[in-house]
This record gives sequence, structure tokens and C-alpha cells, in this order.
Amino acid sequence: MDTTWSAIFTEMGWGMVTMVLNLLKVLIPLMVGIELLLHYKVVERIAPRLGWLCRLLGVGPKTIIPLLVGLLLGVTYGAGAIAEINRRTPLSKRDMALLGFFLFGCHGIIETTYLFWVAGASALFVSVLRLLIAVLVTAAAARFFRLAETRKE
Amino acid sequence: MNAFTKVIVDGILRGLKTALMLLRVMIPVYLCVTVLKHTAFFGVLAGAAGPAMRIFGLPGDAVVPVVTGIFTDEYGIVAAMSGFAFDKAAITTIAMITLCFHSIPVETLVTRQIGMPAWKMTVYRLALAIATGVFTGWLAGWCF
Repeated sequence: MDTTWSAIFTEMGWGMVTMVLNLLKVLIPLMVGIELLLHYKVVERIAPRLGWLCRLLGVGPKTIIPLLVGLLLGVTYGAGAIAEINRRTPLSKRDMALLGFFLFGCHGIIETTYLFWVAGASALFVSVLRLLIAVLVTAAAARFFRLAETRKE
Repeated sequence: MNAFTKVIVDGILRGLKTALMLLRVMIPVYLCVTVLKHTAFFGVLAGAAGPAMRIFGLPGDAVVPVVTGIFTDEYGIVAAMSGFAFDKAAITTIAMITLCFHSIPVETLVTRQIGMPAWKMTVYRLALAIATGVFTGWLAGWCF
């Protein structure tokens, strides 16, 4: 029994050291990256060029900033951006639903890809496949909504 | 200090602060999972969850990070996973499932706060997590 416990404690000790080091390895470059993105207003700069993405996803042009912020930086920042936009000019119910479909399918892509890659997952799956699924689901839902609307009229 | 250096330093400090905040959750999760793994109860749990995990091509142990993830965030999932020796396909599948369906209590509240239909979104996330898990399990088993 004693040897078992000492083995468990050794495992825990090493496990914690590895976990702390991996966490710092992920978070420090990530936070530096996010600070740079925010400081140089990268999202605001690329948003106007993304009309095609709005059409593909079937969302209104106002949706693009919270969508990009949530996609790149994570749901906390995304929620902040949505709350901010809603305070000024509320998004339509349809855009909110599509934004939810997209962001719950894929958010914080930089952070999570890096974190799970360090943990041993395939970076390609966690980034590209996840993004692809979110785009497909959102685009399909937008077309379904539109179809339902035209049928009502 | 010029603006660029300040941004970098701010980033490093934010990283350290966030690490401290996350470790308050990760360390207890990791310790609980490691102790749990060595108990007899764990064998029963993994055995019972085995069939459910098999639809994702995962071993029964995978139930621990998947269930932990419902209540914690991505970092809790990684903490719970690091107690086991999963292979690349399993880690990828667990990642795909839990990245869809995690932090349910907190994120449901946030969803309601910003005016989205919270319950519907949670059901959507669960359905998408299951579908993605089945698909990834199949694809990862085939790729790696």
C-alpha cells in the first residue's frame, strides 16, 4: 500500500511540473499574440475585406467583428464584442442564432489549437476540421432559414 | 519603454496571471483524476462508459476528460487528460468532442447574458459534439 501511494505521489509531482511548464509555454506566447492583435486592431482592419465570408455564412455585415473576435480570441472576448454591438445596434435574431452556431462549433481557434497540440492532439484536426464543420453547419443553417422564410411568404 | 515593448511585457504578464488563475482549477482537477484513476470505483466507471465511448472509437478511460470538460474549461480537460496515456487519435477525438461541449454551466449563463437562446444552444452543442466525435473518431482511426 505504501509503495502504491508513493508511486501515485511521484506521478502527481511530475505530472504537475509538466502541466505548469506546458501551460506557461502556451499562455505566454498566446497572450503576447492577443495583446499584439488588440493593439494593432488587426480584426477591425481585416473585417471590411470579408464580405465574401458574410455571404458564405449568410450573416449580416455587422456580425463579422464579433464572429472574428470569437473565432480568433475565444468566447469571452467574442461575448464582449457581441454585448458591445448589441448595445449600439442590436443584431437580428437570425444573425444571433447563426453567430451562436458558428462560435459554439469553433471558437478561440488560436488558443485551443495550440493548447491541444501541446497536449498531443492533431493540430490540423483541431483547427482546420473544426473550422470547416462550423462553416458548413452555419452556411447550411442560413440557407435553411432563408428557405423557411420564403416559404412563409 | 516604447509602445511595442509595453505590448510584449503586458502580454507576458497577462500570460503569467492567466496561468495562475487557471492552475487554481487545473491542479485540483489533475489531483482528483490521478487519485480516482487508482481506485476500484474507476474500473467500474470506465467499464460502464466503455460502450458509450466506443461509438467515438475511444477507450473507456476517455469518459473522465469528457465528463470533466462539461463542468470545467479547455484547461480542465487537458489537466484531466494528462492523467492518462492516450494516443494521438484518442486525444484528437476527445479534443473535438470537448471543444464543442465544455464549460456548460458558465457558458450557458454567458449565452443567456448576451441574449442568445441558451437552452437551444446547449442542445445544439451536445448534438454537434456527438456528431463531430463520431466523425473524428472514424477519421482519426483511419489517419493515425
